[in-house]
Amino acid sequence: MQQPGDVSAVTFTSSEGNTLFGTLHLPAQVREDLPVIVLLSPGVKMRVGPGRLYVPLTDSLVEMGYRVFRFDFYGLGDSSGELQETMLADVYNNIEVGRYVADSRSAIQWLRQNTGAKKFILGGLCGGAITALLTAEREPDVEGLLSLGMTVTLASNAATPAKYLTRQQLDSRRQGYYRRLLQPMSWWRLLTFQSEYGVIWRSMKRLIIKEKPIAQAAPVAATAEQRGNANPLFPPAFFAFLKRGGRALMLFSEKDRLQSEYEEKFAAPFAEQLQPYLPQLQQHIVAEANHVLSFTPWQKEMVAVSRGWLQSLHGAK
Amino acid sequence: MAPPDDARSVVTANQTTSRPGQSGYHSPFQPVANSLNRVTETPFFFAREDARLFGILHLPAGTAKPLAFVMSHPFGEEKLWSHRVFVSCARALAAHGHAVLRFDYFGAGDSSGLSADASLESHREDLRAAIGALEQRAPAIEQIGLIGLRMGATFAALLAESNVSPRLAGAPLVLWDPILDGDAYFQELLRSNLSTQLAVYGKVVDNREVLTARIRAGGSVNVDGYEIGKGLLDSCGVSTLLTTDAKRHAGPALIVQIAATEAQKERAELKALAASYGQGTLARAAEQPFWREIKPFYPRASQLQELTLRWLDEVTGAPAVAPLETAASGG
Repeated sequence: MQQPGDVSAVTFTSSEGNTLFGTLHLPAQVREDLPVIVLLSPGVKMRVGPGRLYVPLTDSLVEMGYRVFRFDFYGLGDSSGELQETMLADVYNNIEVGRYVADSRSAIQWLRQNTGAKKFILGGLCGGAITALLTAEREPDVEGLLSLGMTVTLASNAATPAKYLTRQQLDSRRQGYYRRLLQPMSWWRLLTFQSEYGVIWRSMKRLIIKEKPIAQAAPVAATAEQRGNANPLFPPAFFAFLKRGGRALMLFSEKDRLQSEYEEKFAAPFAEQLQPYLPQLQQHIVAEANHVLSFTPWQKEMVAVSRGWLQSLHGAK
Repeated sequence: MAPPDDARSVVTANQTTSRPGQSGYHSPFQPVANSLNRVTETPFFFAREDARLFGILHLPAGTAKPLAFVMSHPFGEEKLWSHRVFVSCARALAAHGHAVLRFDYFGAGDSSGLSADASLESHREDLRAAIGALEQRAPAIEQIGLIGLRMGATFAALLAESNVSPRLAGAPLVLWDPILDGDAYFQELLRSNLSTQLAVYGKVVDNREVLTARIRAGGSVNVDGYEIGKGLLDSCGVSTLLTTDAKRHAGPALIVQIAATEAQKERAELKALAASYGQGTLARAAEQPFWREIKPFYPRASQLQELTLRWLDEVTGAPAVAPLETAASGG
């Protein structure tokens, strides 16, 4: 299969002295007026993203005339450096508080010097999305966020997940328990102390205390306890970006906790502050999709929505 | 774009690209010296017919040993989870004096193509092309050993049975947890699709029989973002993918059984596989299954890496090495 445009394998040195590996994808006809799109790696997966999610996205954006850059953060993928964490959740947590902002800024600087780019759109899935936002907060030349599954919480707190589950998540868990009522394995897990009792209790408690399940269309703010794992860096960064005129595509997967977390832990509690900026935001939920948009129709929808959003920004086709 | 070819992807002192010189946008690329172990790492694209494959060449400081390696990654998402283990091992081998090429198969990583269009044959040709790319970039090497993980090990073992390069004959072959029964392996992959169905739809809409039939009929089935097509399933989804019949490969072969604990019983089929080589050795490494999502962060498989390097020293007659710098196996 031919991929559109041209691709170069590149390396550059970050401000912290690490050698970062990446690929620069160029369209057949470069449009200098368009920003360069930088896709930031999610979690510990390398620059192609889980299930190579970034590959079809890159190809499609290059086809529209955009230059696209993907690279590996230090300690991950092909890049130099070593991470010291022993648990994945701790790696994720450190990404969520901005570990890779310096690398992302180095990439922007490298692109300025080597492509002449003046404006940028930063994109990414999950950890890539929050890194994009935290970088945009510091880089005024970032005009847009192509956010796929923005995370507004911190992963390390997942050691006590029951406390932080949103209403939507609790409802979903309860439905799952109902479905497994007749499965011997489920009862075996329950009776051998392998089940998540805290989650079971909280999901059932909502029925006992007659709390109505929330309507999908009208998310309610999470309780203070449920918001206990919220990332304190997210709201100020997001509002700073919006205040200076930044535009964002906020794409979520329907069957991903990140969507309900964004609604209940950010959009609802900050609804009043968010209101003036709604015209700068385009939100889209890919129906039934999972966190990494693994099935091809979900990927295609993500790509189509991303293209449409960019078209609305720049008229590129 | 025009398909790249080797002439266009030759590594120069300043730049490597699939189409150098086309515009002013290419990186002022310099091969990278890894400060920790003075390994030089060069990313580049190379051609296999109309496919564009991505590779990274690790070269030791000074003169490389006559024995070089090509590393063969596992299929699908297993490649991404195990990526850093491959990088760490390639760097250790290069620090040990060997040239090493890591590359992405067609439909994987930064290479072109879709997994739905891959097959055993395409993997074989990719591996051949990678060997050719290494021979072109490090012409002084005399032997090329293969190191593979899971399905990547199987592809390496199958290629080693053919006479694709005189440099492979007699060279070491390292198989980390190879897949022998391709049918069982693909059934396991399809189980991942069922898990996604359960998580998304709350039930299994299409069972494995339906999924298999869909592929056999010329469709494809998604596993963790990778479409599996008829070409791959027909050629690799067979129980006799890698048999324990006597092998032609004359070089030393190391088969490593990877298990979470050292106490795990020896697997009979791996023992038989080792016995099928004239110079086969079976070893066990206590490592977590780092090719899938686990709770620890796993940038290095220390025990696996160390036993591989020690075995290589033994079979190549190199002086014994001091213990490598290791992190805990779990992390």
